[in-house]
Amino acid sequence: MSWSGLNVASNMSEQAVQVANLQKRYGDVQALAGASFSVEPGEIYGIVGPNGAGKTTTLRTLSTLLTVGGGDVSVFGANVEREPNEVRERIRYLPEDAGAYDNLTGRQYLEFVADFYSDSPDALVDRGIEIADLGDRIDSKTSEYSKGMTRKLLLASTIMTEPDLAILDEPTSGLDVENARAIREIVKEFPGTDRSVLLSSHNMLEVEYLCDRIGLLNEGRIVAEGAPAELVETYGVDNLEEAFLEAVA
Amino acid sequence: MNQFWRLLWKEVRELLRPRYLLPILLIPVMFVALGQGIGGIDDAANSQPAIGIINEDGGEYGDLVNASLSQNASVVYYADSGDPSTAIETVSEKGGDALIVIPDGFTEHIRDRTAGSVGVHSVVRSLSLSGITSSAQVDGQIRRAGTVLTLNMTGTTPAMLNPIRPDHTTYLEDKTLDASPGELSGTFGTQFIFIPVVIMFVIIFSGQMVINSMGGEKENKTLETLLTMPVRRSTIVAAKLIGSATIGLLGAGLYTVSIYYYQSSFAGSAAGSALSLGIAEYAIVGVSLFLSLIGVLAFALVLGIFAGDRQGAQMLLFPISILAIIPMMATMFADITKLSLPIRAVLLAIPFTHPAIAPKRLLLNDTTMVVGGIIYQAIFAVGMIWLAIRVFNSDRLVTGSSGRLGRWLSRLQS
Repeated sequence: MSWSGLNVASNMSEQAVQVANLQKRYGDVQALAGASFSVEPGEIYGIVGPNGAGKTTTLRTLSTLLTVGGGDVSVFGANVEREPNEVRERIRYLPEDAGAYDNLTGRQYLEFVADFYSDSPDALVDRGIEIADLGDRIDSKTSEYSKGMTRKLLLASTIMTEPDLAILDEPTSGLDVENARAIREIVKEFPGTDRSVLLSSHNMLEVEYLCDRIGLLNEGRIVAEGAPAELVETYGVDNLEEAFLEAVA
Repeated sequence: MNQFWRLLWKEVRELLRPRYLLPILLIPVMFVALGQGIGGIDDAANSQPAIGIINEDGGEYGDLVNASLSQNASVVYYADSGDPSTAIETVSEKGGDALIVIPDGFTEHIRDRTAGSVGVHSVVRSLSLSGITSSAQVDGQIRRAGTVLTLNMTGTTPAMLNPIRPDHTTYLEDKTLDASPGELSGTFGTQFIFIPVVIMFVIIFSGQMVINSMGGEKENKTLETLLTMPVRRSTIVAAKLIGSATIGLLGAGLYTVSIYYYQSSFAGSAAGSALSLGIAEYAIVGVSLFLSLIGVLAFALVLGIFAGDRQGAQMLLFPISILAIIPMMATMFADITKLSLPIRAVLLAIPFTHPAIAPKRLLLNDTTMVVGGIIYQAIFAVGMIWLAIRVFNSDRLVTGSSGRLGRWLSRLQS
């Protein structure tokens, strides 16, 4: 189904993401142990947590990449287990460690992605090129790109289609200051009244700058949730990093 | 362009890259070059040799040998006497390959009904297949001259030199054939060894393509992005299978043509058509091969899910190669119905055995085994497609973990 054919006029009262008691086990490891949170339309929601807390598992489950071990997960009212195709039509997912097809140029990669979302993809590609801001290098093979260039291209391909929900796993991971800042600005400007962002990050300054609300994930559970300023106030500390340490202590 | 064609185009475009295509092209080019070389040697062997003759005999039988040689070879030098070591230089300068010396007294030996010797001085210009071909040509002309002498001396007819003509009737299971076992062997060689070899190539190439496709997705780290696009998993699976089959069949077709060309370069390799399959029987073999192809592609796709990268993907081809080579070897060197029950059971359990043995079994009117094989292959293919779609819908595609099998396949790639 093309993007233009979708009923994009989502119900504004409908939550973008609803996660209730999400559980996931890998063999002997309990990755998620009843995580619950929700994301509202127009909101940037950040999941913060230590390594192994279950951030990527949560994002992959919402992206229909992993099965739900237990609990209920829905995106704009569509259940990720029972209606995965409906979910995929509303989201775009940027994995932490993603790449592009190395035999394509940046432009060709954007065209490849845009073709899935529109019968007239030229406008999406033009927007993607503008977001990626790679200049003439947009016509170079992606195999010749630096990590920062690849990340900008992938982020552009993620949000050029204007998904109702952009799921970004560590969007600035491994990038230098300049590239990280450029990507943060792109993410910050993305949401409108009906578009949401769900991201994970280790970078507390980034989370504080970008997110309207944060969920602190520890050992597979959301242990605290709220706006960055609220969390700082709740724990009576000076900054979000200290609030995080208090929450997971 | 709809989603399936878009994904199919992506697959084909990926698999047509030089890193995949060049190894496929290299071997057919090698076979064609070998065929050219051997064809050239055959052409040389069938042409008239250039020789020199020193006829010191002067008798009637020496003259007869000289006449026979002169009729069937290009004589670039002739003398009644002379030093062979000097004469051979002249022969060589004139492009000749050998100097034949008919010594004085040759006729006396023949008259006394004893063998007369002739000297053969050869020039080998290069130590290669083509370089030594001329020697065989000269030997052939000397044998022909000997036959002429025998006919002349004895007054017999050419038929009497080989007076018994066997009229063969061969019984092969329930068939009676007007051909010798040797002719049957020749037909088996061209038809029933060639077909299994082609089948092996189809299976290995197609398997390689789909595993490469999955390895590429893993190496490029594009799989997760692809799987979250608004495309059904079954469409992704179908695009990968059909894209890989297209390139796999292209590679197998190139191999088939090149091997056929290579085989046909051997003179006399095409035995009489004492045994041959009709169009309907070839169509049945085609159905069997098609089901094998579908089965191997889905099987390879499941294996490819465990590929860490492109190099690891190559290692995962190993189990498929083994499963493709065993039936080929078994078909070449044995009749599967004559093997012991356990070995037969193992071979028949390999789905790729069935198209390999189908030509032989159809030839012997054993349609039960062929039809049974096709049903078995269909079940295998459907089962593998079901498994591939199931795995594509599971966590394993992302996590890569699958218990012991996953650990074993990871070790294979390390």
